[in-house]
Amino acid sequence: MIGLSHYLVLSSLLFGLGLYGVLTRRNAVAILMGIELMLNAANVNFVAFTRFVDPTFVRGHVAALIVITLAACEAVVGLALVINAYRHLETVNVDQVDLMKG
Amino acid sequence: MNAEALAFYALAAMVVVGGGLVVQSRNLVHAAVSLVPTLLGVAGLYVLLHAEFVTAIQLLIYVGAITVLILFVILLTEGATGLRVPQRNEQVPLALVVSGALVLLLWAVLLRVPWGPPAGTLPPYNPGAVGRSLLMPYVLAFEVTSLVILACLVGAIVIARREE
Amino acid sequence: MTVDLRPLAPEVVVAAAALLALLADVFTRTSRARAVWWLVALVALGWAAGAVWTAGEGAFGVLYARDGLANALQLVGLAVAAGGMLLARDYLARVGLDRGEYYALVLLSTVGAMLMVASQDLLFLFVALETLSVPLYVLAGFARDSHRSQEASLKYFLLGSFASALLLYGVALVYGATGSTGLARLAGAEGSFPLLVGLGLVVVGLGFKAAVVPFHAWAPDVYEGAPVPAVAFMSVLAKVGAVGALVRLLPLTLPHLLPAWQPLLAALSAATMVVGNLAALRQTNLKRMLAYSSVSHAGYLLVGVAAGNGTGVWSAVYYLAAYAAMNLGAFGVLTFLERAGVEADEVEDLRGLADRSPALAAAFAVFMASLTGLPPTAGFVGKFYLFMAALQGGLLWLAVVGVITSVVSVAYYLRAAYAAYLGPGRAGVRLHPGPWAGVGLGVSAAATLLFGVLPGPLTTWAQRVAALLR
Repeated sequence: MIGLSHYLVLSSLLFGLGLYGVLTRRNAVAILMGIELMLNAANVNFVAFTRFVDPTFVRGHVAALIVITLAACEAVVGLALVINAYRHLETVNVDQVDLMKG
Repeated sequence: MNAEALAFYALAAMVVVGGGLVVQSRNLVHAAVSLVPTLLGVAGLYVLLHAEFVTAIQLLIYVGAITVLILFVILLTEGATGLRVPQRNEQVPLALVVSGALVLLLWAVLLRVPWGPPAGTLPPYNPGAVGRSLLMPYVLAFEVTSLVILACLVGAIVIARREE
Repeated sequence: MTVDLRPLAPEVVVAAAALLALLADVFTRTSRARAVWWLVALVALGWAAGAVWTAGEGAFGVLYARDGLANALQLVGLAVAAGGMLLARDYLARVGLDRGEYYALVLLSTVGAMLMVASQDLLFLFVALETLSVPLYVLAGFARDSHRSQEASLKYFLLGSFASALLLYGVALVYGATGSTGLARLAGAEGSFPLLVGLGLVVVGLGFKAAVVPFHAWAPDVYEGAPVPAVAFMSVLAKVGAVGALVRLLPLTLPHLLPAWQPLLAALSAATMVVGNLAALRQTNLKRMLAYSSVSHAGYLLVGVAAGNGTGVWSAVYYLAAYAAMNLGAFGVLTFLERAGVEADEVEDLRGLADRSPALAAAFAVFMASLTGLPPTAGFVGKFYLFMAALQGGLLWLAVVGVITSVVSVAYYLRAAYAAYLGPGRAGVRLHPGPWAGVGLGVSAAATLLFGVLPGPLTTWAQRVAALLR
């Protein structure tokens, strides 16, 4: 029987993968992909908790929908920034940012 | 092993392998394409969790729109995303330690809790319940989301338009 | 079902002003006509402030509650927005960036901060945080032809989104632990491990936004690259939102878990004060110096949160108001200066300022004195209250760290103030007139002095917030 803990283990793993991507990638688009993985991990948690802990009010579904919308918005702004940075600087790498400390 | 468990493990493998490729692949186009199975796997998990409406939105927006947008930008900035450019910084060992420690901490914390079986049943007609929830208790969050969308629209235009 | 929109009236007015600022560019061609629209937006801010001032308590559904803390911090936020608009106008006109979008983004961001400090739900807090942050990313990159501005904006965006993702995962864990995202449910929750880890991630996410050590490394790069008026605005507004949310989440909602979060907050606060001040000592670039100064002030603000008592809560509110005046002013002085077509942002560029404009140099000295925490300025009174709160909360060591780091900060603040009184001026540095920025600066300087000389009224006003503490 697949229980809540299965979903939580999987989502933690996805979150860890996203975090690893954000910390190790140099390319801004790749960092953004890592952030998308982290957001998806949070969404899996939201939906799983709705099913197992809080089924009547479907709050987690609402949360997931809002997060998907905001993620799309952020991606639009982020990619506009990437394109403009590329036009000006011919690079989209962010070596100068120390993401670990950042 | 019943059908649900089979489906879960198949989807989990899809998510983890896809996610691994997203963060590990040397070729950014491969990484972006690997987002598709990952996000599809997450959509499949939503089906198992009886969240049909969220599944539909996940497919439409995440798999459909965001991935394609990311691919477009990778193609537009080819000079910086090509294969000859190293894609990883020097922080790999440190990042492995940090993310590994966080995952282990989360497992230790989350597996210790005796999560029970589902505490009730989801409303039978899912989109209706979600809609009511979105327009009754969460109406303000819904409205403010539109402000964020406006800010993003304005922002993207301000940043990306070429000067006449 | 009827809905009472009145508690939201101030936010609606500000959001409407943002739309107005966007439309202004469509319908106007001359700069004179634009000035009228800009003034209308400014008046709208004043109107919203009046509405907040007269508003009592209220709520909108379960997500939003207008209480003492919300009212107080919304007034600070509106003042910051007005300051941000006043300081920006002359500068933007000078560098050819005077567009309605700038003011629209300033106002949208302000709405985000206003909602954030009134949020009663963690998911809504996330939405409000995004409303605050997204316009700030764009404002950082508003100088589209400046490479540094573009780079700053990209870094700010990536780290900001990363912080949002951490916060969101924390919210998801809290949801799982309590079965709700609402603060009401959280207020009675037991301190289970998933809840604490979730809260930890939420605190980290907010710490990123407020530039708390060790999540501060973006701040110097972003502040150095972004246009000065945008930096002045974002450095204060992001702190109003983040510190306001922390105050509501920890001392007001979770006093029963104080033993769990107080050590974490105190450690973050001490690290932030020490690292921020020591790093500021080494800077020769004024914007970077003020960036590290802004980091260190996040530490001082956290002293109030970490104290966990009523004094801590209201002195954090007092210090936010004082910080708004003095930090807007400190960056505001920079909007007047230009070196060879770019921003004059070196400490050396200030040389001879006193000869060219005694008033500007005097105002700068006041802001530096206040940021240091010297009497008779608002910074002194604010720090006094914060350290007193730490003593009352049993955190003597934190107060000592605060006093020592303040003494250290004398070195770099007064070095900058002193430079303004050393002649002759550096070649190539020009001083531009700016009537609106002058108004903004005058008000900031007056407020910095007034809150320092006559702290009574503002103290009484801030103390009302402490009534919320259970």
